[in-house]
Amino acid sequence: MVVLLEGMCPGLDKDLLRSLRAADIRTVEDLVSSDIEDVAQKCSVSYKALLSIRRVLLAQHTAFPVSGADLYEELLSSTAILSTGNPSLDKLLDSGLYTGEITELSGGPGSGKSQVCFGVSVHIAHRLKQSVIYIDTTGGLTASRLLQMLQTETDNTDEQMEALQRIHTFRLFDVCALLDCLYGLCSGGLHKARVGGGSVKAVIVDSVSAVIAPLLGGRHNEGMSLMIQVAAALKTMAKDFSVAVLVTNHVTRSGSGEVQPGLGVSWSHIPRTRILLERVETGACVSRPGRRRVTLVKSSRQACRIKEDFDLQRWSGADGEAPSGKRKLDQADP
Amino acid sequence: MTLQIENVIRSVWIWFWCFFGSTVLVPHQGSSSRWTQGRSIKNVEEALEALQAARTGEGGASVTALELLQKEEEFGSIVTFSSRLDEALGGGIPVGKVTEICGAPGVGKTQLCLQLAVDVQVPPCFGGLGGQVIFVDTEGSFQLQRVVDLAGAAVRHCSLLAEDEEQRVAMTTFSVETILSNIFLVRCRDYVELLAELHLLPDFLRDRPKLRLLVVDSVAFPFLRLHDDLSQRTRLLQGLGLQLIATATRHSIAVVITNHMTTRLRGGQSQLVPALGDVWGHAPSIRLLLQWEESRRLASIVKSPGHMDATVQYQITCEGFRDADQSEQLQSKRPRIQTDQ
Repeated sequence: MVVLLEGMCPGLDKDLLRSLRAADIRTVEDLVSSDIEDVAQKCSVSYKALLSIRRVLLAQHTAFPVSGADLYEELLSSTAILSTGNPSLDKLLDSGLYTGEITELSGGPGSGKSQVCFGVSVHIAHRLKQSVIYIDTTGGLTASRLLQMLQTETDNTDEQMEALQRIHTFRLFDVCALLDCLYGLCSGGLHKARVGGGSVKAVIVDSVSAVIAPLLGGRHNEGMSLMIQVAAALKTMAKDFSVAVLVTNHVTRSGSGEVQPGLGVSWSHIPRTRILLERVETGACVSRPGRRRVTLVKSSRQACRIKEDFDLQRWSGADGEAPSGKRKLDQADP
Repeated sequence: MTLQIENVIRSVWIWFWCFFGSTVLVPHQGSSSRWTQGRSIKNVEEALEALQAARTGEGGASVTALELLQKEEEFGSIVTFSSRLDEALGGGIPVGKVTEICGAPGVGKTQLCLQLAVDVQVPPCFGGLGGQVIFVDTEGSFQLQRVVDLAGAAVRHCSLLAEDEEQRVAMTTFSVETILSNIFLVRCRDYVELLAELHLLPDFLRDRPKLRLLVVDSVAFPFLRLHDDLSQRTRLLQGLGLQLIATATRHSIAVVITNHMTTRLRGGQSQLVPALGDVWGHAPSIRLLLQWEESRRLASIVKSPGHMDATVQYQITCEGFRDADQSEQLQSKRPRIQTDQ
């Protein structure tokens, strides 16, 4: 919705604007959708002049087609694939998180969604030396765990501190604050976060369902519209600033007892790639509680329903690596 | 008729929660047409600028993970008096997070809550937090006599440990009376009272900066009545969960809630899982599961962003929640159970 202004296009002068206002036409949208013949009579302007103004305005505000070749050129120059640091997850995601896209992780409580988010942000901040924005809506962000993950990567304290400074966190607990934060990031906040060196390449929202789900259902439809606003803000941010967006979602059970990502069908169109995390429920999980299975639910690059297993305790996939102090606990138990 | 009124109250509550608890919705560029009527564009631009400035001042402040780490270390955690559980939790129940304790009846959920209510008051020189506690009791299970027992045991324990002058001075004010005076008990009889209490809590917390622990024992009980409208219950619970998380983070207090267990049937097999459904399971950051294994009591961490899954054995003695002592295991106050349900 753009307000009509003087000098927006030739012929749109002060007098015409005043008479248009008198006819209750204030925005481009109003003018374009009104009956020109009617307006011409009301404002006593020539029909032809109005028609040409409308044509110019339409041309100014329309979306324009881009050729595939140009798009490909742009894609090559602006798209980056951020490795998650975990080989199995990378394999599933076709080598990592793509900038300009929304990737979704879903899973039940304790399935390791936050752990994957931690792992990804640590990898991007430490190995790739880029900034990460981490929006926490569940209170699950634990900096000591981030440090613990960094300690398995490097022994250099300075490097660890540097990496931690590249992770910018927001803690927000309602949808209005989330929208506020996303709009703030779009209008300049993303550039501000560069200070620590390296531009922002990833935005993580853990979890998006925690703030949206309480609004859905019942007799009120506003929840749905807020959800779509959040989705639009995330998409715009992903495309315009070419950042990779990673969101987490809870799961629900369908009638037949099958696990599926939450937030309903409308949301399912928003993320480009969706993966489902589950605990491995076999006898083996007693000895290896960090074992998780990931399933690709939706993807535009790989065949769906591919499954991979990985161990949360060994994020970087180095099998020979000894688990660090805290992680040994389970073995020390009676 | 009354049912209708109740429904209206419920829906009003939800929307009250969703919007009044939050900042004002800042309109973005798309929705400014109403405002522009009869005003010059400049004014609107100025207004937008002012709004943007206000926005960056309030909600837009980001914190780097390093600052977060320093804060976490500063907050500390509440010891449970069971060294094995403390070790598994990296020092105890963390401040600034929501911890859920779930378990079958009689396994010791309330005992652990009462123990924490006493432990949070241990003076800082003994490694405690010296804080106060608000105990929201929804089941009527708060037993003062038991708190007196636990407090007496904690005071005795600390007086045995007191070595230097500072600790002796601290001991003069650490007594059963002061422990009791630092526990604020709120009795909520149904879920409306519980929601109302949590909504008013920020004011209460503002007046008492030393408050470090909020206990809700239990969340499940008042909501079990609401089984006629499950989606309503889920929404209310999610709102409640967010409220708890926000309280824990904004006021840097530990939130401990208890939950019941329920039976889930899947593929002809029954399984004991925490009550209130899967969606609620996302609300607490840390989930502790207390369970019986024959005559042993086990505490497991089943969900936590900062700790590995772990299982430890504990016991409940007349002094409170303690490490299981292999030899004295059968002398604990309630050695068996399974039959008293």
